Amino acid sequence: MANLMQELARLSDDIYEHIEKKNPQILFMFDVQRLYWNNTLNAHAEGKKLVYVGAGAPCELLWAFPNIWPFLLDMFPTRLGSDPERASKYIDIAEKYVAPTMCAIDKVDLGAVFSGDLPDTPDAFIWSSVPCDNSRSAYPAIEGYFQDRGARGLKVDIPFRKDERSFRYIAEQYKDLIPQLEEIAGQKLDRDYFKEVMAISNETAGYMAKIADLRKLKPCPLPGRLLVLNEMIPAMAGHPAMRDFVKTQYELGKMLVDMGMTATKAQPEVFRVSWLQNMLWSNVGTLDWLEKQYGATVVMDAFGYQKTPLFTNPDDIDTVLFNLAQKTLALPMIHGASGPIEDYANLVENVMEDYAVDVSMFVGHVGCKHTWAAAKVIKDMVMEKFGLPTLTIDVDAVDGRYKTTEEIRGIIGEYMDNIVEQKEKGNYPPKKA
Amino acid sequence: MGSETLLNENAIKSPAVKAWKEKGGKAIGTICCHVPEELIDAAGMLPVRLRGTGCTDDSEAEAWMSPFSCSFARAQFEYLLNGTYDFLNGIATSDGCLLAGRIHDNWKYAGKEKIEKEGFMLSMTSTPRIVESRHTMGYYKEELEALKADLERVSGEKITDEKLKASARKYNETRALIREMYELRKAPQPAISGTEALELTLAAMSMEKGEFNKKIRAFIGEAKNRKPPAAPRVRLMIIGSAIDDPAFLKIIEDKGGLVVTDVQCFGSRYLWEPVAIDDSDVMGSLAKSYLERPVCPRILDIHDELYKLYMDMVKDYAVDGVIYVRMKYCEIWGGESLLFESKFKEAGIPLLTLEREEIMTNEGQLAVRVEAFIEMIEKEDR
Ligand code: SF4
Repeated sequence: MANLMQELARLSDDIYEHIEKKNPQILFMFDVQRLYWNNTLNAHAEGKKLVYVGAGAPCELLWAFPNIWPFLLDMFPTRLGSDPERASKYIDIAEKYVAPTMCAIDKVDLGAVFSGDLPDTPDAFIWSSVPCDNSRSAYPAIEGYFQDRGARGLKVDIPFRKDERSFRYIAEQYKDLIPQLEEIAGQKLDRDYFKEVMAISNETAGYMAKIADLRKLKPCPLPGRLLVLNEMIPAMAGHPAMRDFVKTQYELGKMLVDMGMTATKAQPEVFRVSWLQNMLWSNVGTLDWLEKQYGATVVMDAFGYQKTPLFTNPDDIDTVLFNLAQKTLALPMIHGASGPIEDYANLVENVMEDYAVDVSMFVGHVGCKHTWAAAKVIKDMVMEKFGLPTLTIDVDAVDGRYKTTEEIRGIIGEYMDNIVEQKEKGNYPPKKA
Repeated sequence: MGSETLLNENAIKSPAVKAWKEKGGKAIGTICCHVPEELIDAAGMLPVRLRGTGCTDDSEAEAWMSPFSCSFARAQFEYLLNGTYDFLNGIATSDGCLLAGRIHDNWKYAGKEKIEKEGFMLSMTSTPRIVESRHTMGYYKEELEALKADLERVSGEKITDEKLKASARKYNETRALIREMYELRKAPQPAISGTEALELTLAAMSMEKGEFNKKIRAFIGEAKNRKPPAAPRVRLMIIGSAIDDPAFLKIIEDKGGLVVTDVQCFGSRYLWEPVAIDDSDVMGSLAKSYLERPVCPRILDIHDELYKLYMDMVKDYAVDGVIYVRMKYCEIWGGESLLFESKFKEAGIPLLTLEREEIMTNEGQLAVRVEAFIEMIEKEDR
């Protein structure tokens, strides 16, 4: 029988070794992934409790238990997006059970679990009611599957709005999680250890903010494809390996800036692009292609955009839990589209403004219906406030069978060609309305 | 009042709505199942459940919500855009699903003028999705307090506990009467079809409940005296995403399957489980009653109760087969089959899965599939 975790750990080893020989200066990007997959694979062998988490679980609180290894279930789809064979295997399995219109992120989650390719049952599955209707459909079934095999299921309700009352409501539920986590871990929450985790998380957030500032520079020193790992960052915030990863990324970017260079393929940078929806894990090469072909760097996407709140008072547990709740509502997929449309619009406005974007693209993941249902408001705002039209294209961020590379690049290319032509005539960017 | 009168009340702008507006009454549209109508009624306004029945073109709404959104949500939004719901003085939404939320969200922009110039109310109730947590009820109760304040503002009426209790009593009577109407469908040769039953609940959704109660009581009296039709070929239960279109059920029933009951939000899930009011905490008890109903899988820890409801319905209504209707792009119901399909199989309950779009374009195909399902059940019974 297949063992998906083992396969992905082996694969990350192979990639690591390959990069080590061919391109050692970017090895840091693969280091953290190798560690994540291998530690997840070996969690039980190393005497740890393996806890799968869905979006919205308070990761730093989990990292505060040295005896727990948390694994973000969505790492499967974001990793398998670039592995069409495996991705389609799990998507097809899921479609035997659920409507094919379900988001492929959740289909991969479901398919991976229901395939039986995860023989190492986690000790618990902790999930929440966000980000969306797709996960709300998949997570209870996944919880049931694991519970039938002896795992514990724990869940947190995350409300629609992102206000003080919501933060308090979530924090109260997180407080209730602590004794349950202590039972799972078989150890009490060590507040001093937790403080260390919070310090690392704050450091990580600090580097993220610095990286974000680097990306605002012209030319953007860091390539679009580095945005791809963004979902992984909050899942591992609190672990030193993630801090080291973002630290290295920052130092590399800073060095490039100091040397007047950029690591993008946009030589020179002609356009600064924002993707107003998900990252295209199924076709990351398109980001490189945009840089190379058009000098167009994706400087930020609405999925990976993170302005992570910090732990403000690690000595006071109530403030800590409140901060954790704030952090949850600032996570990718949750911070924008999972609540009121204004949150999404504000996020996009910040991206457009802060990153000096001059090309707007709504590269819409088909499964994400609620972001699509906000697209007009978002695109109207971009037009009204920035005078920019927005290219709209439907893609599947995970299932590469939805549109071929040629089709995707054909549509984006046609749009870019037109922009280039307009720019040459002095008509682009259009005069702000 | 005759049954025909009530059956004519299922149009969106029904005679009852027109009469209410002519009297100068205010009407509040509701979206999804966790807006307690009792609150609107207690404010002296008419609650009208938003729906997309009869929509034939949703292209304007599609421009706002994209072709990837559920067509039920789109049809409702189309009706907001094209003026079908012009008689409303506000909308109260609960975030049943994200697309329900998007109707509310998009209307903030599309209906801006109405909101700003006419004081059109737009209220969103964030409804918990996990019932078992000890923090849930308090949160929902606070949300309902906020809704109450919005309703008081637009109605100019104070919603007192006494008014709320009176509304709850009236609504509980409606619940009892709807159940009594469903009770008649348990008969071996039910005098009420599924199509008719849906028309009745749709009528209830845009009628003041005191008036509805009188009318449905008369309807039940008449129905009891109807000459029973021939026994149906098979007895069916419908479960799944919202069905607000009697024409959809008619296609099924024209093929000889009688819909004897349902688990869907425009049928039995509308008003069924009585609200238990506790005098010491009227709003809190209203919140509890609304949240604990097994209404739809949007509540994440209610799947077992929902499954029990399906099974009780199958038994009580002597159901021969279940039709699971999922609206295209409705993921809330789209994944539910995972939780019941194998159980139905084990229990020997035939199941047909149909995908529905609000604007029907595949009547022929639907009829063929239903016919084949009915024949399959008949063969198995032989
Ligand atoms: S991409 Fe959208 S639809 Fe898919 S899991 Fe994330 S929020 Fe849900």
